[in-house]
Amino acid sequence: MLLAMAAMALAETSENAPFPDKDQLAKGKALYEAAGSCVACHMPNGKGQPGSIPPLAGSEWLESTDRSIAISLRGLAGPIKVNGKRYYSAMPPQLLFNDAELASILTYVNFAWGNQGEVVDASRVARARKELPPNVYTPASITKAFPFQEKALSKRNGPYKPDYDDQLTHVTEPVVYRTFMPGASPAAFAVALPGNHYYCWDAGESRLRYVWSKGGFIKGNQRHWSSNGKPVAQFDGLPYYTARSSLLKPEHAELLAKTDHRAPIYDTTQVDDFPFDIAGVDAKPRFLGVRLIDGFPQFRVRFGAHEIRETIRVDKRDGLATGVVRAFEVEPPAALTLSLTPNALAQLSASVGSIDEAGLLKLDAKQAAAFQVTITEKPDAPVPTSTEGGNR
Amino acid sequence: MTHLTLRSALCLWLFAFGLSGAARTSPTFTVEALPSPPSKFKTQQIDGMDVLPDGRLAVCLPSGEVFFYQPADQSWALFAEGLHNPLGLIALATNELIIAQRPELTRVRDTDGDGRADDFEVVTDQFGMSGNYHEFNFTPVSDGKGGYYFGLGTGSQGDGVRAIVRGAFNDRARAGRMHASTPFRGCIMHHSPEGVTRPFAFGVRTPNGLGTDLKGNLFVTDNQGDWVGSSKLFHIQDGRFYGHAASLVWKDGFEGVPIETPVETLAKMRSRACVVFPHGSMANSPTKVMAIPPEAKVGPFTGQLLVGEMNKARIMRVMLERVGGELQGACVPFFDGSPLRTGCNRMAWAPDGSLYVGHTKHSWAGNRGINHIRWNGEIPFEIQNMEITEDGFHFTFTKPIDVETAKKPETWPFERYYYRYHQSYGSKPFDLVKVPVESVRISEDAKEVTIKLEELRAWHVHQTVVQNLKAADGTPLTNRYIAYTVNRLLSDTPDEPLQTSE
Repeated sequence: MLLAMAAMALAETSENAPFPDKDQLAKGKALYEAAGSCVACHMPNGKGQPGSIPPLAGSEWLESTDRSIAISLRGLAGPIKVNGKRYYSAMPPQLLFNDAELASILTYVNFAWGNQGEVVDASRVARARKELPPNVYTPASITKAFPFQEKALSKRNGPYKPDYDDQLTHVTEPVVYRTFMPGASPAAFAVALPGNHYYCWDAGESRLRYVWSKGGFIKGNQRHWSSNGKPVAQFDGLPYYTARSSLLKPEHAELLAKTDHRAPIYDTTQVDDFPFDIAGVDAKPRFLGVRLIDGFPQFRVRFGAHEIRETIRVDKRDGLATGVVRAFEVEPPAALTLSLTPNALAQLSASVGSIDEAGLLKLDAKQAAAFQVTITEKPDAPVPTSTEGGNR
Repeated sequence: MTHLTLRSALCLWLFAFGLSGAARTSPTFTVEALPSPPSKFKTQQIDGMDVLPDGRLAVCLPSGEVFFYQPADQSWALFAEGLHNPLGLIALATNELIIAQRPELTRVRDTDGDGRADDFEVVTDQFGMSGNYHEFNFTPVSDGKGGYYFGLGTGSQGDGVRAIVRGAFNDRARAGRMHASTPFRGCIMHHSPEGVTRPFAFGVRTPNGLGTDLKGNLFVTDNQGDWVGSSKLFHIQDGRFYGHAASLVWKDGFEGVPIETPVETLAKMRSRACVVFPHGSMANSPTKVMAIPPEAKVGPFTGQLLVGEMNKARIMRVMLERVGGELQGACVPFFDGSPLRTGCNRMAWAPDGSLYVGHTKHSWAGNRGINHIRWNGEIPFEIQNMEITEDGFHFTFTKPIDVETAKKPETWPFERYYYRYHQSYGSKPFDLVKVPVESVRISEDAKEVTIKLEELRAWHVHQTVVQNLKAADGTPLTNRYIAYTVNRLLSDTPDEPLQTSE
């Protein structure tokens, strides 16, 4: 249905490009969507994956079919910019398809998702397979061999120099950044844990804000500190744990990474979302700093006469990182209530006491001296809609 | 960190450099690049530097990394990482630094002796952050009593505020070009050894460079912009207001909306700069202030101040005197024409009295890397001092001068002007006139020159580009452009004009 509409639109607007053959389109779509094929990386909607796999839907790289053929046949090693955005992963040569199959796939891509390209003939693929130099293309060599038609396009598309964070894919020791994080005060920590779970701890409110695992650590932090300091960190995953924020509503989600507000949604003097409640303490929590223990930050908070310390590590089951363990110490110890935020994406458990349905963990003084809370990401968690992500 | 506004700078520029060409390098100084710290992010920009008690150089980078440099073997070692835009550090011990990063003043320590910091203790975070990019936390300096001063930048109209801001949001200070909508943006802060953090002085815009003189007086530079007609050096004193209106909301007793307050009212409240850096010709974005101690080896300038500058490959030398109870004085370029790069952001004295210069850029004019300036011990031919007299100025030179040239009035082409105090960005010079020299008197040792001007006008910058002057031994004068900010006269100073209009 969508395809037909795209084809009709093309027929009306583009007289030169031949109308794609219906069978070829269907064949191309089937090959594109076959298990382990293009779809595995570029996704059914052709949007790719932010930061790693470039989109095919609306990609300005598709302006040259010869370039598409060349990349498909020889591969493209190294990071590229597509439509102004950066993608880190490499594309291997597609050697499993014969000339007709690759022509069908490329024709499908050229007409899918609103694209308006041209029909690709098998003989064109065959000629390229014979004549192209044998090496895998680099971002520099592909843009040299098949330059972009307009200067504006070549600025938005081509090689880029990857920075440290782009290459931080397998975390082996804790990485601690202080930076601007979405959904936190400007005094935030971003931490990557070995095992590739990540969290944001907010020194402005002295508490953990959220934890995520999928989609990698924050991206483009280098653009934050190497520029004037404006960019807010970005990451692709959806947090599987998000601490409750009483003044944030789901409709605020779109505003949390923006920097151009006239006035804030709230300032930190208006909130009391500190998760600890200790009888007789009505002081505001005060962030004291962090100590590194084997590289893991231990966050220290003054709360009345008490110092609360929190260290977060990954929880491993059968060698797999399944969530995070939050180790707390309270000194001097006191009976307390810790408010956690249950949700559908994670399972909460405690080393002492039990967490009730509302997420409250009530401990006596002896239990409170040192205890752990484990947040386990549910492997079969439903895919949430964009507004279910709480305050991210 | 300001924009170059050509319109206001052009005539001064022509005046300063059009008459007889640019400065030459003094052969008495060598400028050498240091190897760069091995940042894993590959940045070479330097945003803070100080020398450790054992002689190593400590630097912090925009990436949040802190490195120590061992001059003996030219090696670098990583001390800390993960800080948020650190813009200054104080080396307390070989294992302990005080660092100003965006959200805090932080004590960074290595407690287990492995050479890497493991304890990041908040010294103070008792100030706000709207999340606006321009809210920098600048250059901590010791108060000499166990406390610290630091400077909080204002937010820029180039962007807004974040969804969640730290500290009580104050809408009265949100309007205007540069805002101070969370606590104490636009203030010079003091943190006492007892743990009390308070706004110490008010009315700065981009205070990228606190420093003290040898007597412990506190100074800070500010960058041209709204309310700042041209970049300035302020002598910071308790409770004073220095002109940038937004931060007044954080001053006890101020109830109004800063930008709706009549400019005359603000002008009466403000304290003047002890030095105005003429925009374009002298400086566009002055940076760190650092005193020249007796053990420094840059020539006979003990007690004067060095001030860095972003847009030019220049460090300025500032000489101050107390006139009518307040400090005022002159600035002159230093090291001009040398291989020194632009973006002179931070400075530190090496144990041998030589000078380290750290360069930065971010998204503004500037450069990167570290330069090491060494003196060969020969006295450079420079203006050693410029002081006000009843009717002109008294110059002292580092060497006897060529009397024949010096005694000609045309050697000393003076002009004077002022910059307007107003809300809009920068100011062109007003009341810009040439001031004829009435007489020139030269001391017997030919090292001092007394210039009598036809008129010496209070509350005006007076500047000259000394023409064709050589030392008696034939050495040409290296830096000939000097600007003295005359606020007060030695006697009969007229009431301070508001200078909010022509």
